[in-house]
Amino acid sequence: MRQNNMLAMILAGGRGSRLYELTSKVAKPAVYFGGKYRIIDFPLSNCANSGIDVVGVLTQYEPVLLNAYASAGHRWGLDTFDSGVYVLPPSEKEDSDLDVYRGTADAITQNIDFIDQYDPEYVLVLSGDHIYKMDYSKMLACHKEKGADATIAVLPVTMKEASRFGIMNTDEDNKIIEFEEKPEHPKSNLASMGIYIFDWKLLRKKLIEDDKNPESSHDFGKDIIPGLLAEHKRLYAYEFNGYWKDVGTIDSLWEANMDLLDKNEELDLNDPAWKIYTEEGVNLPQYISEEGVVEHSYINQGCSIEGNVKRSVLFHDVEIGKGAQINDAVILPGAEIGEGAIVNRCIIAENVKVDPYTVVGDPSSEEIELVSKRVRGNK
Amino acid sequence: MCNAFGVVVFSGNGVHVDGLENYRSIGAFSFLGRYRVIDFPISNLTNSGVDEIQLYVSKRPRSIIDHVGIGRQYNINSKRGKLSILFGNEDNSSNIYKHDIASFKFNRRAIESMTQKYVIVASNYMIYNIDYNQVVEEHIETKADITMVYKSVDTAKEEFINCDTLVLNKQKGVSEISLNRGNYKTRNISLESYVMSKEIFLALIDQAATTSSLYKMRDMLNDACSFLDVRGFQYKGYLTAINSFNNYYKANMDLLDPAERKKLFKKDWPIYTKTSDSAPTHYFEGGTATASLVSNGCKIEGRVENSVIGRGCTIKKGAVIKNSVILPGSIIGEDTYIESSVVDKKVEINKVKEVIGTPEQPAYVKRHDKI
Repeated sequence: MRQNNMLAMILAGGRGSRLYELTSKVAKPAVYFGGKYRIIDFPLSNCANSGIDVVGVLTQYEPVLLNAYASAGHRWGLDTFDSGVYVLPPSEKEDSDLDVYRGTADAITQNIDFIDQYDPEYVLVLSGDHIYKMDYSKMLACHKEKGADATIAVLPVTMKEASRFGIMNTDEDNKIIEFEEKPEHPKSNLASMGIYIFDWKLLRKKLIEDDKNPESSHDFGKDIIPGLLAEHKRLYAYEFNGYWKDVGTIDSLWEANMDLLDKNEELDLNDPAWKIYTEEGVNLPQYISEEGVVEHSYINQGCSIEGNVKRSVLFHDVEIGKGAQINDAVILPGAEIGEGAIVNRCIIAENVKVDPYTVVGDPSSEEIELVSKRVRGNK
Repeated sequence: MCNAFGVVVFSGNGVHVDGLENYRSIGAFSFLGRYRVIDFPISNLTNSGVDEIQLYVSKRPRSIIDHVGIGRQYNINSKRGKLSILFGNEDNSSNIYKHDIASFKFNRRAIESMTQKYVIVASNYMIYNIDYNQVVEEHIETKADITMVYKSVDTAKEEFINCDTLVLNKQKGVSEISLNRGNYKTRNISLESYVMSKEIFLALIDQAATTSSLYKMRDMLNDACSFLDVRGFQYKGYLTAINSFNNYYKANMDLLDPAERKKLFKKDWPIYTKTSDSAPTHYFEGGTATASLVSNGCKIEGRVENSVIGRGCTIKKGAVIKNSVILPGSIIGEDTYIESSVVDKKVEINKVKEVIGTPEQPAYVKRHDKI
């Protein structure tokens, strides 16, 4: 709080139901990405790198693993004397018996007391579902410069895609004049990234009003932002130009992993000035045996590779048996691929065993296969 | 958990590794890509439940202090445990006075104030994995004054040259500490790791200092064999000594063999090290690796064969690395050929297109060098 008087709240309750078995036991922010990370490492590392000391993580769906994971603030350096990561699941309160967050705005409303403890001037509201690197301190500087009541980060998308997003229509000074949720005929291509900076006093007042409104769905996009616009508050768009992905489906999760293999490295995870922090295991360096070959891949420590790996992303402790052929695959931690197995275009879930000489995935398939159960051989 | 504190001590004047040691103590040497040699003795102690460790540093300590820090990575309980870094006195008259006894004497109060009954001493240049609980248990059982850990080897003609050896009598009593000059096949190589009570440890320090100001711990222990009950504890696991440049190269290369690696790294005996939060290693199109250990954070566009690659190295297009040890952060330029070499940290190889050594006489490229 000392650094910039801004506190961050990460909405980490997303189910990610289109990720199927990957989110059957964990919430979407806990899903693995990039050979080493979980999705929530991105907003948390962004916070740490932007000089935000206090981060609340609002969990709801399958929170056990995520709660334990996010509460270890030292992973992101958020463990100094007056900083920390605080996991905030819905809780029973004196005047209500709610045990869920009714919407994104309600998640903040239910934690007004938590935020008040720190008495921040600004509150940053983020989603825990997205992969991107962003300096929130620059967004805050813009918020102050414009004298805004709220600032919303926006991403330019193609006009074709624009119908899938919440679209901000702005004037030449980036002031938001209209907000349209998934418009059929978009007037602009600036999509809301679900990243907001609010003046806390104003937001606090609005949240309390919204809480009392029986018509409201208690959602930032549907209720709070349109409400502020209706009151002619000063809302500004902050344009973000960089890599940003919402990995909501198996295909898009696979694609985002494959993006890391690109030469131009739009999402450079090894930038010393903007590292992404995560849980660090005790692993040996990756080992490639005499029979093994790795080519054009992204490989984490702790892997043992005795087969051929091409255009793939391997997480820690993955074992590839002798003569196995791995192409265009994303293999999550601890998975074991048996001798001579052939793996193409798929995501193999954590700790899954693929028996020797089995075939998984299809090199000519349009869709990416998710392998979440043991693949048994013919014996 | 044993009722002991740990003492990890810098290597003596008899040990010198050409090249690498000009920049840091042996404990701070990068090892097997992502470790430092000191990670092994410290992890042995913390895995044995020893939570209070004194690390004695001598010449060029920056590297080791930077790596070890407050010891959090070694899984030391932050309330009940502690890793202290202790310096020797500032006697600059000559290097010969900068030995372990002088350091212990200078820090006598720190040793006295330890609350544990026993002390476990370990050196900073030997790599092994030992459960000290067993050593301390045997030490208590035999009622010995001092217990010394050794390994019986039949390769003493070629390996462990200049290491201490223990001369044992039939009852596993140590009668003398000798030096391996490579004249005999079988020797009991000392791990330079000892267990004794704190009182005896302090008494030896005091007595050594009054005997001769050049007396080191091994001299004092050798004397003690004649008047104390000194016994050997046989260790049968993996052991290597990083006491020469060739041994450093060989130890790294030998561990490319999975069977060797299995002896040193056990599932229930993690070797901890400092994280650098580097991303997984990126092999670009055309970048390949085979028969190698590769650490995280590397960018590989060339070919890596039978080598150990440290964290955050860049291997550019057309470059070939064979039978080599590349230390962290080095950049190997386009179309460079490197064979049987040790390339120290943060080297940039651009203009020179070939660096070739032999397995018997590996080439060495200095730290931060540009060639």
